[in-house]
Amino acid sequence: MAHIELVGLEKRFGEARALAGVSLDIEEGVLAAILGPSGCGKTTLLRVVAGLERPGAGRVRVAGEDITDLAPERRGLGMMFQSYALLPHMTVAENLRFPLRMQRLGDRRQQAEKVDWALELVQLGGMASRYPRQLSGGQQQRVALARALIAGPRVLLLDEPLSNLDAQLRKDMQLELIELHRQLRLTTLLVTHDQEEALSLADVVVLMRAGGVEQTGTPRAIYEQPATPFAAEFLGAANLLEVDARPAEGGGWRVTLAPGVSLPVSAPADPRAGKRTLMLRQEDMVVMAGPVAGGVEAELGTVAFQGATCRAVVRLAGHRLRVVAPSAALAGLESGRRVYLEWPEGRALLL
Amino acid sequence: MVGGVPLAAKAAAAVLVAACVTFMLVPLAVVVASSFSASEFLVFPPRGFSLRWYEEILGSREYTGAAWTSLRLAAVVTALSLLIGTAVAIALVRGRIPGTRTLVALFLSPLVLPTIIFGIGLLMVFSHYGDGPSFTALAVGHVVVTLPYVVRTVAAVLEGADPSVEEAARTMGANAWQRYWHVVIPQCRAGMLAGAFFAFNISFDEAVIALFLRVPGSETLPLTIYSKLEFSPDPSVAAASSVLIGLTVLLVVLMERALGIQSLTR
Amino acid sequence: MSRRESWLLLTPGLALLVLAFFFPVAHLLVRSVVAGDLGGEWTLTGEHYARFFVDGYYLSVVERTLRLSLIITVACVLFGFPIAYLMVHGGPRLRFWLIVVTILPLMTSVVVRTFGWLVILGRGGLLATVLDGLGLAGRSFTLMHTETGIVLAMVQVLLPFMALTVAGVMHGIDPRLGEAARTMGCGFFGVLRHVVVPLSIPGIVSGSLLVFALSISSFITPGLVGGVRLPVLASSIYQQVLGTLDWPFAAAQSVLLLLAAFAVIAPYAALVRRRDLAA
Repeated sequence: MAHIELVGLEKRFGEARALAGVSLDIEEGVLAAILGPSGCGKTTLLRVVAGLERPGAGRVRVAGEDITDLAPERRGLGMMFQSYALLPHMTVAENLRFPLRMQRLGDRRQQAEKVDWALELVQLGGMASRYPRQLSGGQQQRVALARALIAGPRVLLLDEPLSNLDAQLRKDMQLELIELHRQLRLTTLLVTHDQEEALSLADVVVLMRAGGVEQTGTPRAIYEQPATPFAAEFLGAANLLEVDARPAEGGGWRVTLAPGVSLPVSAPADPRAGKRTLMLRQEDMVVMAGPVAGGVEAELGTVAFQGATCRAVVRLAGHRLRVVAPSAALAGLESGRRVYLEWPEGRALLL
Repeated sequence: MVGGVPLAAKAAAAVLVAACVTFMLVPLAVVVASSFSASEFLVFPPRGFSLRWYEEILGSREYTGAAWTSLRLAAVVTALSLLIGTAVAIALVRGRIPGTRTLVALFLSPLVLPTIIFGIGLLMVFSHYGDGPSFTALAVGHVVVTLPYVVRTVAAVLEGADPSVEEAARTMGANAWQRYWHVVIPQCRAGMLAGAFFAFNISFDEAVIALFLRVPGSETLPLTIYSKLEFSPDPSVAAASSVLIGLTVLLVVLMERALGIQSLTR
Repeated sequence: MSRRESWLLLTPGLALLVLAFFFPVAHLLVRSVVAGDLGGEWTLTGEHYARFFVDGYYLSVVERTLRLSLIITVACVLFGFPIAYLMVHGGPRLRFWLIVVTILPLMTSVVVRTFGWLVILGRGGLLATVLDGLGLAGRSFTLMHTETGIVLAMVQVLLPFMALTVAGVMHGIDPRLGEAARTMGCGFFGVLRHVVVPLSIPGIVSGSLLVFALSISSFITPGLVGGVRLPVLASSIYQQVLGTLDWPFAAAQSVLLLLAAFAVIAPYAALVRRRDLAA
């Protein structure tokens, strides 16, 4: 267990800049999710921490110790690979014992006990003598996780740990990972491109874009208070509208969507008046058939039924908004009719 | 793998590479060096510099005749091997025949059997049922040993190609000929090219079958060189050998241009 | 593709294979156990084989053949493995040149390569000149007509087969496996020992089989370098066929050569198959 400090990390691959000065501070015992689209440098960041890539500049410190120039095998980290990287010529038990053997941790008997403990931890009791290819994807995933944990690493690195599982299994494993993290309290870096996974697993989300850190914060903060249009768009689809925003009399702010259509919003952190981007989350908007006080008039476009909710397009003063609403709320409303939109105070955010 | 390659390993690798380059290339280099010798005898290091041995082989009916035989042989073998091998590869990859795995093993089996045994077998059969060794007999033998290369390279390329393109061609009304000409053959092209390089090279350089099926007076170039080596090598042999090396270099360069040589380790 | 179409494409190749490959090999097998004229009077016999086994000369030839082939195979593994490793893991330039260095000799006629070795190993050849210059041996030093000479020349001829076969298998090893081993506390040599070598074994095995089969049956290089005083089985067969024209005896020796090859290859191959099934 240890506190991770990354200072000004840079990495180039030929012309491409994979890391453009990344600095991060991950507190001891925190599970941090590195989130971003493919090619944003998140996997490179993880590999730099693991020692598999050498950074062009910057330092990596774990528990105050500078490990930037240490070979990967001397860092005492546990890493789980996206492809699991189970050694195909070794059984499950041999795979689990491998880090203990390499690091000369304990004698044979102690190692065997540790292997049993790890198998128990990930509920693979009867699988010790199987070969990786005789296991299902979910079982392989558990072996890989157990192998990353078995040597008692200071830091756990997870590279897209759940991306090779099908949807249902992924949901189950998310809960198990949370459980495991509560139990072991290991400082963990988890790389993922799946915003939902990041939000549900992490204590801290680090959003990356084009080799840099876009925003860092708790899942709730980063979801509700995205700092940039990119952050807003990447963490759950949002409607981004170009609007004219300025302070209104009486303290609040008003945005003008189109000539004659203006709405109150809460005061932004950045008090620039003029052209701004307004974020409206799809699921925050309420669609109603009849007029309400504070509601805006709009026209309902295409509606796609998807079970509990419907996705719909709503045209508002020349803007095209995507909306997700409970199916019951849209029942009986056909496209082309007039509807009224409303959203809770404070959920319309100026970026 | 980044970083952490120990200095000892790097040093060992450098020594190994140097040794490997020397060991692999020096035997070819000394042949080329000897061919420019000015002296009557094969000595090393060669004395003087001259092109007289090249003049000699160009003026010798024995060498030019042998080169012509080899060229004709390699051309015929390449064409036949390509035709038959491509058809086989298409059938094995795209066809729905029971026991395809067995058939694949069958078609690759000439690679496994020692050539000397096959060569003797051919000699016995052609002597027992025919008129003994001939150009035709030798060509047949070479087609058999080059066929697996063509089958393998074409099949490998075809396996990586999308089979639904063929089906798409059918839905668009292509008949069998059109389908082969416009879809299947173009899909095989890279494999056919590689197979042709191998077939030509093997047939041109092969000496074992050529030795058993030799027709006195019209031997292939490698065999002419072999006979000289057995009895009285002089620098003309080096010149003829250098021509063979030059041809190989040319083929390797062409192959690299056409296909990229790195693909050979995959 | 219809079944008829498939068979139509397959027929020329199949006909060629049966008539020009399996039939000649079968003919050779029959020749080895038959006495008399195949077209007329003939009887089954084991006399050609018996002749081989009662003559100590032939047994010593077999012993030399197997011993040299084994040494050649081991040498090819020892040098071929690191070359293959560099072919796969070296920088792009190194990789390119290593491939050229192995492909070029591989594609050059065996006759030409052996000729090169004659120039190097002979009396007053390159090796003697170099050793003389270093003061290690006289100009008359020669490795011609020695087993060392045969091994040297054969390893150069066969090394590309080993290197390329092993490199082919190594290419298929997921680089993440090595990286994973590193994060688990394994150094560079540890990765070689615990990951690269075990996973390359299929390549090493098939490369060895190939090299062994080729070296046990080659006679051009051993014949020219070793000369008549160091005959191997294949050069003895060649003598029988083109020299003394004793074809039935040559056929029997050919079959024995095949059997010897199988005797070595079969348990080896079985071992690999068992490994494959286990994993």
